[in-house]
Amino acid sequence: MTIGDKAMKTIIQYLAFGLLGLSLSAATIAGPEEDRKAFQNFYENRFPDTPVNDFQNGVYSILPSAREQWQSIEEFPPYELSVEAGEKLFHSKFVNGKSLADCFGSNGAVREKYPHWDKARGMVVTMERAINECRVANAERPYRLKKGKIADVSAYMSFNSRGQKVNVVIPSDDARALAAYEDGKEHFYTKRGQLNFACADCHMYTAGALYRADTTSPGFGHATSWPVFRSKWQEMGTLHRRFGGCHKNIRATPYKAQGSEYSNLEYFVSYMSNGLEFNGPAARK
Amino acid sequence: MKNGLRIIAVSVALCSSVAFGASNISAKKAIDGANAAYKQVAKETSYQWTVTASAIKAAKKAFDKGNFSEAEGLAAKAMKLVAATKLQAKIESETWQMRVPK
Repeated sequence: MTIGDKAMKTIIQYLAFGLLGLSLSAATIAGPEEDRKAFQNFYENRFPDTPVNDFQNGVYSILPSAREQWQSIEEFPPYELSVEAGEKLFHSKFVNGKSLADCFGSNGAVREKYPHWDKARGMVVTMERAINECRVANAERPYRLKKGKIADVSAYMSFNSRGQKVNVVIPSDDARALAAYEDGKEHFYTKRGQLNFACADCHMYTAGALYRADTTSPGFGHATSWPVFRSKWQEMGTLHRRFGGCHKNIRATPYKAQGSEYSNLEYFVSYMSNGLEFNGPAARK
Repeated sequence: MKNGLRIIAVSVALCSSVAFGASNISAKKAIDGANAAYKQVAKETSYQWTVTASAIKAAKKAFDKGNFSEAEGLAAKAMKLVAATKLQAKIESETWQMRVPK
């Protein structure tokens, strides 16, 4: 065997190892679509009696006793006043004579476009962020981020968007979008706070279990119904308000509403609910 | 006799001021250390616990009231919570993927 043959043999061995490594990593690192299928399969197996489309109803999709109560609440929905207030705000003229309708169309039925990846800025844009950005672009002050007017406008826009399907896209031509998705995914599965809980602990592996007097909701469908009127709050609130509340419950310091942590988490959670209908605003316990 | 009493009084005064000063200084140092560690763990890991913030706040309150040993104890508790936060972040960075359904 000549020196050239030896070198060739070594190169082939390295290439073989490299290919083996690549195939192994492809098998172990799943992409968003594989994640979503595994995620949805998990809930379908855990709650075989729940029709897939019903997961958008949160805990009421798995808890028949509470469902009846909830359905009677929905006859006179507590978020109705918020939708009306949101309608007024949506059509109120800014100082420059424009309104939110100039950004989102005549009735703001654009829920299906959010959250989305903004390639130019390299960030996730939620609907609440877009509402405030529209106001700021028209020389108005942004709303506070977790409740109040932002929730009212969001309620109006979500109400008009009912029936649209969650269709979050992670563009394949921008690695930053996948990184934002992965960040949200890591957040969902990572334990935090002194109580050492991950989102997945309550809303996946023990979904449907009792924590004190409350049953935890399945994570599949979590992103469809916002904003919500929570009986505990006695008012409307956004998804990021709820994220913060969950973190406080497990004694973790909440992140800022509309910051990258919660926006990326919303990106992931919404992607996991792709295919379900938006049905916000909603009433929740 | 008179001189003896004076010496004792001065000694007691000196000792108590030294003891008082040391407690004051060490409590302040402990609170500052806990506060810095709390901020640092957030910077390094993005993890923070509400209970740590509460412990630091309580330590500051005790310090302001002049309860230096209580303040020092609470600051020490906060440091332990910071250490636990760091450990959680380390463990989770290595294990979170195990929870992803396949």
